[in-house]
Amino acid sequence: MMVLRRRVGEAIRIGDDVRIVVQEVRDGRVVRLGIEAPPDVAVHRLEIFELIQRENRQARDGALAWLSQRADEKQTEERV
Amino acid sequence: MNDEIDSQREEGVFRFPQGVAGFPGSNRFAFIYTGGDVLCMQSLDEEEAALLLAPWDRDRLGAPPKLTCEQRACLSNADDLLWMVVLNPVADKRWVFANLRAPIAISESMGRGLQCIRIEPDLPLRYPWMEHPEKMAA
Repeated sequence: MMVLRRRVGEAIRIGDDVRIVVQEVRDGRVVRLGIEAPPDVAVHRLEIFELIQRENRQARDGALAWLSQRADEKQTEERV
Repeated sequence: MNDEIDSQREEGVFRFPQGVAGFPGSNRFAFIYTGGDVLCMQSLDEEEAALLLAPWDRDRLGAPPKLTCEQRACLSNADDLLWMVVLNPVADKRWVFANLRAPIAISESMGRGLQCIRIEPDLPLRYPWMEHPEKMAA
């Protein structure tokens, strides 16, 4: 992992389009970041993104089961 | 697995510029009506990426979320948004859950979609949406 030291008001850039500015450090523990990114770049808190990722993957199993059942039913109809 | 989804199709395709969490290779989705109030959203990029959705119910859930400027831009500033919840039918034997922390907005006119991930900690990830039907396909 790349590690950079930045002060309040300083920024880093990722690629051509993403800019992250350190806006505030509170009590030496909480960092407030400002992020500029194009609309097609998703920016989320990691723990929330991972939660949704896990839930979507579990939910997918239900959708795949439905699609598979539907394909079976179509095959049966075609045979009849 | 599904012989009706043509991955080369252009019509009825919704682009999700930010993708969908958990399906990193999927940006293009199409919808299949499953019967009842449930839709299946299937990726055109990855056969194994699909979700079951139900329309946002204002009576039960109130108004849909407000979008940020960035989220509106991602949906091409469309004003014809249709909101849906992602259903999880496999987490529980009795209930089909709806994920209120990450509903989906689509714009038919723009052909765009977005999974709107919300940070409010009190929103349920698994809201009991309906009891399991005998068969999802009905």
